Amino acid sequence: MANVREANTPPTGPMAVPVSVLRLPRGPDGSGRGFGPSTQRPRRDPPPEVTEATRAIQRARAALRRRFLLCLVAARGQRVTFVLCQRVRVNAVLGAAWVPGGTEGGGSDGGAAVAFQVDALQTPLGVQKAALLRGGDVVAFGFQVGGK
Amino acid sequence: MAMRQTPLTCSGHTRPVVDLAFSGVTPYGYFLISACKDGKPMLRQGDTGDWIGTFLGHKGAVWGATLNKDATKAATAAADFTAKVWDAVSGDELITLAHKHIVKSVDFTQDSNYLLTGGQDKLLRIYDLSKPEAEPDVVSGHTSGIKKALWSSDDKQILSADDKTVRLWDRSTMTEVKALNVAMSVSSMEYVPEGQILVITYGKTIAFHSAETLEQIKSFEAPATINSASLHPEKECLVAGGEDFKLYKYDYNTGEELESYKGHFGPIHCVRFSPDGELYASGSEDGTLRLWQTTVGKTYGLWKCVVPEEENAEAAKARTTLPGTAEEEIEEVASENSDSVYSSTPEVKA
Repeated sequence: MANVREANTPPTGPMAVPVSVLRLPRGPDGSGRGFGPSTQRPRRDPPPEVTEATRAIQRARAALRRRFLLCLVAARGQRVTFVLCQRVRVNAVLGAAWVPGGTEGGGSDGGAAVAFQVDALQTPLGVQKAALLRGGDVVAFGFQVGGK
Repeated sequence: MAMRQTPLTCSGHTRPVVDLAFSGVTPYGYFLISACKDGKPMLRQGDTGDWIGTFLGHKGAVWGATLNKDATKAATAAADFTAKVWDAVSGDELITLAHKHIVKSVDFTQDSNYLLTGGQDKLLRIYDLSKPEAEPDVVSGHTSGIKKALWSSDDKQILSADDKTVRLWDRSTMTEVKALNVAMSVSSMEYVPEGQILVITYGKTIAFHSAETLEQIKSFEAPATINSASLHPEKECLVAGGEDFKLYKYDYNTGEELESYKGHFGPIHCVRFSPDGELYASGSEDGTLRLWQTTVGKTYGLWKCVVPEEENAEAAKARTTLPGTAEEEIEEVASENSDSVYSSTPEVKA
């Protein structure tokens, strides 16, 4: 976490425990206007009607998400090949994945992995001991089941 | 006791920030609007300062800005002789209300159906927002430009401040009920509905008056000229800022100075407590807004209190990977992360 310190009036009594700032407030993006999808509040529309079709979709999505999470569990510690944008392929050992639950990831794609933590990332520039791959950059990844 | 504090600095404006206002607490949190001489008022998430959008349309400095209670509408007052009403969700301009001079202040009624404006033409105007083309009700009586105009007493009365007076008006009769002469130029005014308290600043004075009788309740003197002050919702303390670039926090009951903070690089023009009282925002000549914690050291919004001996434990926890391959652990992972077609109702953030 970033520790941001400001010049304040010098303390004359016991020093309070410094408070860390998780991040700085986000500023305007290049669009100038904002109010885009990423900053939209959920509209106060009435909740969608629950039907058998929507229940089926719900079950299917839950099953797919479960399989994805099981896949991540199985891939942990394995040598994984990542296919990135523009057909770039890199190999690394998967450490962990950040997969937000519910709406934490934002938008309707709440099941996507936000980032992958990897070790021994092989790149054209050399081997990176540890690295973070952005979820948005990863098109696909694959690994041998049961192999190390 | 002097303390350290890490404010959250919100950048984006390119000129001095002259006014700011919070919405009420909504199911989506609370929001903050800032008025700026760059003509581009901005909407931000209130507890983090994250920029949401900029209301584009004014052709001059924006002197006043406000949000309605549920943050669905915004209103701005500008030097282009207009007040504008905006959709605060989409950022779209809804209504433009032409005036005959610079508009300085805007305020919604609690039901958002009426907008009060005041400005350099010395007139108060009340617009029915369901009929924006209709002529507004006009209240005259001020002898100098109006700096601030606010609804009070459940929107039955109006409080307005010009250079040297504060006036109380009755909405139904459109007549003046009471007037208060102020020794020096009024720099700011805030109305606190709970308790009917009026906070006004002039010179180095922060004064508290009854909003019903305009009689003074108490006043404090600051070390420097104060431009704005705000009373905590629980009335435990107040904050003030002004020409010496510093923010001061006082005990409302005793007047004792509790804390003071430097941080801005220019005079502070406006300061307001958030609706939950957990933080206060300041706007400055330096073009920034800063969010300050009311209780320093609390975990809230983007602030996280970290005790030094817990830091190593936190760092170790951050490196924790997915659970092992035992079937029950897999079930745990799947159930904790089960997806839902429908988003759950967002928690009230504040």
